[in-house]
Amino acid sequence: MTSSTKFENYFHVFRDIIRAMHSSTSVKEVLEEVVAKSTEVLSAKGALLRILNKETNRFEVRAVYGMGERYLHKGPVTTEKLLPDPRKLHKVIFITDVWNARRVEYPQQAWDEGIRMMLDVPLAIEDKLIGLIRIYLEKPRKFTDDELDFILTVAEQCACIIERVQLIESQQTQFDHLATQMEKMSSLGRMAAGIAHEINNPLAGILLYSSNMSKKVTQGSPLEEGLRIIIKETQRCKTIIQGLLEFARDRKPQKVPADINAIMESALGIVENEFRLRHVGLERELAEDMVKTLLDENQIEQVFINLLLNAVHAVEENGNVTVQSSVESLHNKIQVEITDNGCGIAADDIKKIFEPFYSTKAKGTGLGLAVSYGIVKNHQGDIRVYSVLGEITRFTIGLPIRAENCSERGLHETA
Amino acid sequence: MKPRRILVIDDESVICDACCLVLSEKGHSVDHCLTGNAGLLAIEGGTYNLILLDVKLPDVDGMEILKSVREKGPVPVVIVMTGYSTMSNALQAMKLGAADYLAKPFTDDELVEAVEKLFAYDDDSRYG
Repeated sequence: MTSSTKFENYFHVFRDIIRAMHSSTSVKEVLEEVVAKSTEVLSAKGALLRILNKETNRFEVRAVYGMGERYLHKGPVTTEKLLPDPRKLHKVIFITDVWNARRVEYPQQAWDEGIRMMLDVPLAIEDKLIGLIRIYLEKPRKFTDDELDFILTVAEQCACIIERVQLIESQQTQFDHLATQMEKMSSLGRMAAGIAHEINNPLAGILLYSSNMSKKVTQGSPLEEGLRIIIKETQRCKTIIQGLLEFARDRKPQKVPADINAIMESALGIVENEFRLRHVGLERELAEDMVKTLLDENQIEQVFINLLLNAVHAVEENGNVTVQSSVESLHNKIQVEITDNGCGIAADDIKKIFEPFYSTKAKGTGLGLAVSYGIVKNHQGDIRVYSVLGEITRFTIGLPIRAENCSERGLHETA
Repeated sequence: MKPRRILVIDDESVICDACCLVLSEKGHSVDHCLTGNAGLLAIEGGTYNLILLDVKLPDVDGMEILKSVREKGPVPVVIVMTGYSTMSNALQAMKLGAADYLAKPFTDDELVEAVEKLFAYDDDSRYG
């Protein structure tokens, strides 16, 4: 082959791969094209392509050409195995001694299949290894700079497309999750109103009769105690249903310029008793330079009360809860943290704590955090949780500073 | 407190019976209807001082009954009862002329208190 026809050949192959990348939305098709064309242009026996599974942090086989089905089922390998030396991230690795190379897992098998040389081509984005193409050859040979250039360029393009498609896929998953969540919420709202009515009616019967009867029993009789419990528990059901309706109703926040420290103080005033009763310590570290921002005071107070009560209930007697507030001028937001040194939240639960009806408390409705989440989102804020089981739980709420004539200090100054 | 003539309109017979029991023990004379239409007929033919009205009825919207009662005059007064314990429901009922609002479930005391509050003025000695 003359050098010009060789060049033409590379060019065609490269063009085909690029076309596959642009016309196809499935990574699989692109990867199959890449292994097939690489094998073809390098006159190899076949090729195998692995991609990093970010969840397991292992490289899994995603495409094979010329090597038979068996290769598709090869097990995943770790980064250490593939690339012990990060300096070689953008270089082709030659394996000429199939028997003794550490990178070759089954030398006997490879030898029996007639493989005498392998090339490993890393797929990398900047300093991250995201995959690897292994090319199998039946005869050891030297590679020209052009060939290496070609294969590295293909690898580079391939890495870009994988990264892009993975990004699209993860966004799609996230969007699907959100859509299901929204669907769940809106049907939940309709259901909540229905449930409220259906349950409040029988509760009304129970409460009217039991409260009426409690006045007719002789004082001190066992019936009196039973009726007291029935009345109390029925009223508890009423509270639960009110919470449910509250949650289901999509309330728009009524925002006014407000001082978040003052809201926190007011929430602390309400739960103070609970702290005292349980001998739980409370530390305040509220920012002295707090700025006002647009907030629905009642809703934010509700969030604080929810989080403070959760914290109090999470710590044993003599535990400690810290509330902090700060201004992050750089990000134009204020931040509130409520930290306790209580029982912590298990990793499995953390993912679900903001979902409605999810509760780890025996008497919880599973709505407190779901309501809080909704309120913070309606303020264009975010709420995050960090927890170490048995040690610490910290809820962090970030809220944007919305100036609109409520600034008491220059918000637009540069930090 | 002077005995009153009270009509309970609710499609749940348990609630009707419970309200009748509680209020008749306080000396009031209480009737009840299980549908909106029966309620409208009873209002037409009766001389009630007070109607305890459920807003969700199988045949007629409770709010419609409230409206028609109010259009005819200030008597009888209406206390609205509803299982949708939300503020907007209460507000809507008050706007349409309900004298008070009871969110289900409620205790006998809450019921009696709501009724007595309405007639406190009339019973006040200054007004004879």
